[in-house]
Amino acid sequence: MKLPAFRSPGPTLWGLGVFLIILAVSAPWIPVFLLTLFIGLLISATLAYSLNLITGLTGYVSFGHVVFMAFGGYALAFGVGTLKLPPVAGVGLAALVGLALALGIGAVTLRFRGVFFAIATLVVAVAALYIVLEITELGDGQGITLNVGFEPLSMFYTIWGILAIEIGLTFWITRGRIGYGIRSIKSDEDAANTLGINAARLKLFAYALSGLFAGAAGGVYAWNVSGAFPYDAFNLVFSLRMLAMIVIGGMGTLLGPLLGAIAVYIPSQIFLTVLIGFEYIIIGLVVVVIALFVPEGIVGTLRKYIPELRGILE
Amino acid sequence: MADASLFLTDLALGLLLGCVFAVIAHGLNLIWGVAKVVNVAHGEFIMLGAYGAYFLNLSFGFNPLVSVPIDAAIGLAVGVGFYFGFLHRELRGKESMGLQSEMVTLVATFGLALFMINAVQTIWTGNNVGIPWSPGVFAVGFLQLPLGGLYVAIVSVTIIGLTHVFLTRTYLGNAIRAYSQDIPATRLVGINPTFTAAVGTALGFGITMAGGALLTVWLPTGIYPAMGNLYAPISFVIVVLGGPGKMWGSLVGGLTLGVIIDVGQLFVGSLSLAYAIAFLVLIPVLLLRPEGILR
Repeated sequence: MKLPAFRSPGPTLWGLGVFLIILAVSAPWIPVFLLTLFIGLLISATLAYSLNLITGLTGYVSFGHVVFMAFGGYALAFGVGTLKLPPVAGVGLAALVGLALALGIGAVTLRFRGVFFAIATLVVAVAALYIVLEITELGDGQGITLNVGFEPLSMFYTIWGILAIEIGLTFWITRGRIGYGIRSIKSDEDAANTLGINAARLKLFAYALSGLFAGAAGGVYAWNVSGAFPYDAFNLVFSLRMLAMIVIGGMGTLLGPLLGAIAVYIPSQIFLTVLIGFEYIIIGLVVVVIALFVPEGIVGTLRKYIPELRGILE
Repeated sequence: MADASLFLTDLALGLLLGCVFAVIAHGLNLIWGVAKVVNVAHGEFIMLGAYGAYFLNLSFGFNPLVSVPIDAAIGLAVGVGFYFGFLHRELRGKESMGLQSEMVTLVATFGLALFMINAVQTIWTGNNVGIPWSPGVFAVGFLQLPLGGLYVAIVSVTIIGLTHVFLTRTYLGNAIRAYSQDIPATRLVGINPTFTAAVGTALGFGITMAGGALLTVWLPTGIYPAMGNLYAPISFVIVVLGGPGKMWGSLVGGLTLGVIIDVGQLFVGSLSLAYAIAFLVLIPVLLLRPEGILR
């Protein structure tokens, strides 16, 4: 009888775990303004890891990821505002809505490859905005304003838990059977199909998981800004920020999305107070430069030039 | 009778508007056909063309039709810059665009789009502006239609016709078509691939920006930095409807979409739902006829 080989979680996961645990333990003593900053950072990181599942690992560029986030936000606003759920349950509802939406959209759009998938997701996101504008229950184009108390700590632990689960799942996926399947789809989908990998099912699995977490993050975002408003929630800038984060951090890696989230989110907060309006000009330029000249991102480039890091960074 | 006349008016307006849509999609179609690249920042170049027409009107009093050739010339220059900045590195010495390169250009042009929207917003403010130009109306039977729309439609069809003549009757046009079909074979018969691709891309940008200028006639107050978020998806849908790389496809797709938006608005009673329907047309077309509705 052969025992399954024990696989060490690896230094990257240890590092991420220690980072998250330190954050969680020290949260009650973090001053409120810093705590809101961390909440924003964790939301960004959750979104980045969610896009990483489908774009980074599976190789399908999605421009319409904002749609899950927006509907997640609307789900929380509807659940808390109309159904009087507690906010945490609202986040759960948001995640379910994201999951259902991803299954529905993915079942159709994942049949397209490359450019066509990217365009189809973009068009679905734009069309969704125009549909939401007309729905009376969702605020008739005005959006929904929530009246919930400001509880940064419970918000923080909610998004912390979501991110921790997400990182764990990403690790589990990349290490296991599913990961091999997903990566073979990224390299060559036809070859993967020939080898007996059910590409359609695996893609839908990755996309559904991605939609689930994007929906949950959108729910927390709506909780944070106390409402869901169409032109804010469906702003394609969110799609770009998610893409920017994984491009800068390193697509398809375990550490990359977090690094990217820090690299995009923290400067954006500084620009908000110092150089108003220049934030997206600079993020846009950085994305162009990184996509053209260092397409591997921070993690990929470090691994390329410092071979010693290859065993450590994932 | 009232309903029928309303329907006919919307149909005619939709066809006129569709001609302009055809031009803006035509630019995308050329770039897509030649370089096999989807320019996600396409809407922002339409926006740039519209602002070009606006500033030419503001400074010199030109009407949008006069601005079209000037915008097109600027577009040619911008297109050359775009080719060498974004596409040349990915296309150089390759037989076709790989998936990795495709992802790189998609992400890079998406970043460019965001940069352009916000740069324009910072420089020219986010206010809606427009060109005060309306040459009156003309009557077909009992229909009253805007004369500006008719002029624009004529110019649009002329642009598409001229592109067609250029691509099928001239040496350079044939070289561009050859390049779009088979890059190594193009090299074998002695065509300079870089020059051909650069010209094709530049032409696409020229047409896109000319289309932006033409569009302003339909937008009395609708020029604003983020306008590309509406017109880029419209262009994508048109190109897919007509079939990527098929030049007459842009015209057919444009007319179809113009009619869907204007007539659909009449039936569903709201412009936003009409837009949503027009966008979602893309999905069944991609599923059932991925090569476009034209044969």
